[in-house]
Amino acid sequence: MSFEMWAEKYRPKTLDDMVNQKEIVERLKSFVKSRNVPHCIFAGPPGTGKTTAALCLARDLYGDAYKEHIMELNASDERGIDVVRETVKTFARVRSIGEIPFKIMILDEADNMTSDAQQALRRTMERYTETCRFILCANYSGKIIEPIQSRCAPFRFTFLPREEQDKYLKHIAENEGVKLLKDGLEAIFEVCGGDLRKAINTLQAAASLNKPVDSKVVYSIAGRANPADVQKMIETAMKGDFLEARKQLRDMIQKYGVAGSDIIRQIHTEIFRGGIPEEWKIKLADIVGEIDYRLVEGADEEVQLSALLARLVEAGYELKKSS
Amino acid sequence: MGLYAAWTLKHKPKSLTEVVGNKDAIQKFVDWVKSWEKGIPKKKAVFLYGPPGIGKTVSVEALANDLRMEFVEKNASDYRTEDAVHHFAGLASQYGSLFGGRRIVLLDELDGLTGTADKGGVKAITDVIKSAQCPIVLIANNAYDPRFSELRNYCLLIEFKKPPAGEVMKHLKRICEREGIQAEENALKFIAQRSEGDVRSAVNDLQALAQGKEKLTYEDVSWLGYRDRQDTIFNVLRMIIYGRTCMGAKQAVDMADVDIDMLFEWIYENVPAHLTDPHDLVRAMNALAMADVYRGRIRSTQDWSFTRYVIDYMTAGVAMARKNTKPGGWIPFKFPTRIQALSRSKAERAMQLKIGYKIKQKCHISANRASKEILPYLKIIFRNNAETAAGLAKWLDLDLEMVEYLTGNKER
Repeated sequence: MSFEMWAEKYRPKTLDDMVNQKEIVERLKSFVKSRNVPHCIFAGPPGTGKTTAALCLARDLYGDAYKEHIMELNASDERGIDVVRETVKTFARVRSIGEIPFKIMILDEADNMTSDAQQALRRTMERYTETCRFILCANYSGKIIEPIQSRCAPFRFTFLPREEQDKYLKHIAENEGVKLLKDGLEAIFEVCGGDLRKAINTLQAAASLNKPVDSKVVYSIAGRANPADVQKMIETAMKGDFLEARKQLRDMIQKYGVAGSDIIRQIHTEIFRGGIPEEWKIKLADIVGEIDYRLVEGADEEVQLSALLARLVEAGYELKKSS
Repeated sequence: MGLYAAWTLKHKPKSLTEVVGNKDAIQKFVDWVKSWEKGIPKKKAVFLYGPPGIGKTVSVEALANDLRMEFVEKNASDYRTEDAVHHFAGLASQYGSLFGGRRIVLLDELDGLTGTADKGGVKAITDVIKSAQCPIVLIANNAYDPRFSELRNYCLLIEFKKPPAGEVMKHLKRICEREGIQAEENALKFIAQRSEGDVRSAVNDLQALAQGKEKLTYEDVSWLGYRDRQDTIFNVLRMIIYGRTCMGAKQAVDMADVDIDMLFEWIYENVPAHLTDPHDLVRAMNALAMADVYRGRIRSTQDWSFTRYVIDYMTAGVAMARKNTKPGGWIPFKFPTRIQALSRSKAERAMQLKIGYKIKQKCHISANRASKEILPYLKIIFRNNAETAAGLAKWLDLDLEMVEYLTGNKER
């Protein structure tokens, strides 16, 4: 028996395998058919298939030897200007051998590149368009400078809908001989909300306990993997302790690497659930939406979310006053 | 959240023997006051002058305390109204107070008299001195300001100088002893030297850096090196968070010797502790969020002219947020912890990143994100299922140290 991370083992290999992001996949397939690919930006939250789509596109385009024609670079590991100057240029300028005259550079987490590096990249993209096409993957397209955005075909990836995530997880569970119960499945969606990588990791960690995966197991896994929890942060803020709530937020982002979009999603869910006065719910939803949009635009996660925490402090204060 | 007494007040010298430096000036001052015992001297006022924060006011208070005199203080802003001048004249017309003790009258911050509106003020003070029956003390930074030219004729001038760093350091040391803080010698030396003789700012710095700690190390204070003496970041923050006008708050930026992004971090860190009213807090955090939105717009358009809106929001926007919060006690300004947080637990993060790089080889994800997003799940698997753990360790090519970290057998 061989062991792998399931998120890798069950990663789709070709565009046909990709069950979600249907419209995007259709457009990518048309690129394969015409044997031409423009520079692209794949933007969207984590675990929605950006890197997978890029890899599938490459495989469909070049066949099994696709690895010779592509390069994957992770901007958040190597995000300085030197990398763009050296690595990217060296790769981009050499013509590919084979029937397709260009190579593909996949720049993952491109929104983490410094703006200097992005400027350098912009020139490289222009100069070597003949020999190399770029696919930039990013959580927030707003963090990519406009000159690059205008040179790329934009693709917006969205969280997987519930039934598609369920289908995927059931398939894996079946294959791996894991007993995945209905309420377990529900809990995974509740915790991961359409982030498929997180969902599969949760399932694999839950399966390692060697017992049926029900909601209790899922919640315990989620709690151990992400000790900071959004519900607690909201409560802290509503109690009026802004500084502590901001500290919890900071831990979530810095220590546990929770994506801002994920925190937003959870706050949005919580708002409509808990003991917040009815008229405040819609007020807060409005603010959450605005902040969600700002993050997409490229604003700082902690700064924006702490402005939201301040609103919760205010809501808690009003609530106390009126009762 | 802490409301503390300012150490400049808490540890203010009670007696002249505790005042830092300026021994000669103080002696001259004491001699003059004592000369009143033998009758009214020729110069009925003394004019203490010198740079801020070196103990002029404190010396007068300590002297009054030592000699058990009744101490009456007036501030520059009070001199404008006729009533105040009359009141002042009334006080000065008697040597003895109602309770039989002797009285000393202090007029502080004479520099604060500005413009033509106050011209009459200086004249009124001169008149009062002429007919005074008790010692009057005037204090200003610059006694040689032309406005004071006539006034000077009636005063004994005593210059206060910046005390040497060694003296300042002794004072800081005494405060640390009283507060039960173990401070490294070179840490205190650093604070003292940076203060350039301004004892008050040295004590403020010490409080900001050491309060609540048991130990103060050189490392704790060394970042002060980024600051400019004249307009410390603390002053800049004060101008912004407690600013009353948009212009005043905006001007603070020119005085800061950190760049805009760093100044943003300072403000973002410190605003919540200083704006305790929820509505004020919302306004301030929203202003900062808007400043941040414009930072994002600069990043994506590369149009730096948007910087002016960043500045508007982070300074004037924050200043105007304050409507209901009452000024409380002394709240320390803190170094931006968002930046500090990153340097914490280096060893653990190094190990996590090493594992992250292994995951990266297999999983098309950056080492950075892998160490945060995938590693927590690996930990759970490694702690629960030895068989899967062994298989994954092989697949990911992990070494023994990494496996031990994940299983928690060698908890860091």
